[in-house]
Amino acid sequence: MKSPALTEQYAEALRLYFERGEEQELLRAYQLGRDGLAAGLGVLEIAALHQQALVAALLQMLAPADSTRIARRAAEFFAEALAPFEMSQRGFREANAILSDLNRELERRVQKALRRYRQARDELDEQKRIDHVKDEFISIVSHELRTPLTSIHGSLDLIRAGLPPDAPETTRRLLDIAHRNSQRLVRLVGEILDLQKIETGMMPFEPRPVAIGPFLEQALEANQAYAARLGVSLALEAAPQDVHVAADQDRLMQVMANLLSNAAKFSPKGAAVVVAAELREAGLRVTVTDRGPGIPETFRKRVFERFAQADSSPAREKGGTGLGLSIAKAIVERMGGRIGFKTASTGTTFFLDLPLARGRAESQPARA
Amino acid sequence: MPGEPLRKILLVEDDPDIQVVATLALSADGDLSVESCSSAREAIERAPAFRPDLILLDVMMPGSDGFTALESLRAMPETAKTPVVFMTARTQQRDLERYRGSGSLGVISKPFEASALAETVRRLWSGRGG
Repeated sequence: MKSPALTEQYAEALRLYFERGEEQELLRAYQLGRDGLAAGLGVLEIAALHQQALVAALLQMLAPADSTRIARRAAEFFAEALAPFEMSQRGFREANAILSDLNRELERRVQKALRRYRQARDELDEQKRIDHVKDEFISIVSHELRTPLTSIHGSLDLIRAGLPPDAPETTRRLLDIAHRNSQRLVRLVGEILDLQKIETGMMPFEPRPVAIGPFLEQALEANQAYAARLGVSLALEAAPQDVHVAADQDRLMQVMANLLSNAAKFSPKGAAVVVAAELREAGLRVTVTDRGPGIPETFRKRVFERFAQADSSPAREKGGTGLGLSIAKAIVERMGGRIGFKTASTGTTFFLDLPLARGRAESQPARA
Repeated sequence: MPGEPLRKILLVEDDPDIQVVATLALSADGDLSVESCSSAREAIERAPAFRPDLILLDVMMPGSDGFTALESLRAMPETAKTPVVFMTARTQQRDLERYRGSGSLGVISKPFEASALAETVRRLWSGRGG
């Protein structure tokens, strides 16, 4: 047997043993070693084979799965396999060097893993701290902004309510402007906080089965007064009976209020906003359709962006904050639904695709 | 007791401007007399003499906050059973849960509609349990 072929077979047998821990491969390696001796190889040449085998083991360790096991097996093998041979001083030194290299490598890997673990742990603590600071910040901002707003808004409200009937028209108009805008600020603060809460996962969502028919009736009723002030009526066209969606009712109501008030703002006076619901493959689709001028082509992509309002849009004139639809989108998606729109010059339809409630019979009575 | 008229309100609010606005708003209802003070400590000093029918209590105040103030008021015989309504600009979920669990009559969130404040308080008053 020629030695290069022997070396390859030997290394292959050891590699298989290190990798898989198959005893027969180890026995084959021993046999190859003995064959090598019989074929006239020296002890150092056999030691070189072991070295190669260890290199193979180290290479295995670079793929870190189970590296400790492989390294231990390699070291054990090395100690065991060398014992029967008469080793020269040099052979032992080499063996020692290889083993201590192996140990250093292992040590390095353990340290690295430890560092990574500590870093990950520290990052987690830091994240928790940041979340806490954010939480506090929102709370403080909420208080600091609302306190001055309370006295501004309250004062304006009282002055308006107590204005004598013969007050000058200009005074009345300026007061109305100030009052309307303070109201807008109040809403804006609320909506920024809402959005922040949704994004930081601090807004509680409690999905429960919601009966869509009564829910939509309620939504229309709650927003009727607002629409009426704009000279617009709200109509419920069709809703499937006895269908339940899985949603947080209060949040869904917030979304409906946004869609209905938007539709009313964009409707011409005297027009009706039509609400409908239909079952589809993926769930239930609720639509809110207005007879407005449609969403301008250039604005369509940004409809759900924050503070995005089409230039000189009636929503801006009528006190919109530019956050309503991005909040609506965040809420709907949080509930596993989808929001979108279709628009033309004759009107716009916003739709909500909502998941149906599953296993309603089981989930309902548990309400304490 | 239900059916008893609401006449005297003690307003505890540290922000002087809100104090004025809320006092004016409540006084617009001619049947209400309002005393205002700007800290929990002051409220505890004045409540025994004033004997309010209802206490409107701000939550975030320097010194002791609304919840601590409520505890102190409950510990005094004169105000042990006086209905308390919180006023707050903090409406985080965990805050709301705390208000619910505090035994208060209700919460008015700031900014409130000043022209409707008296009405809101009266509604809470008439909804109180016997």
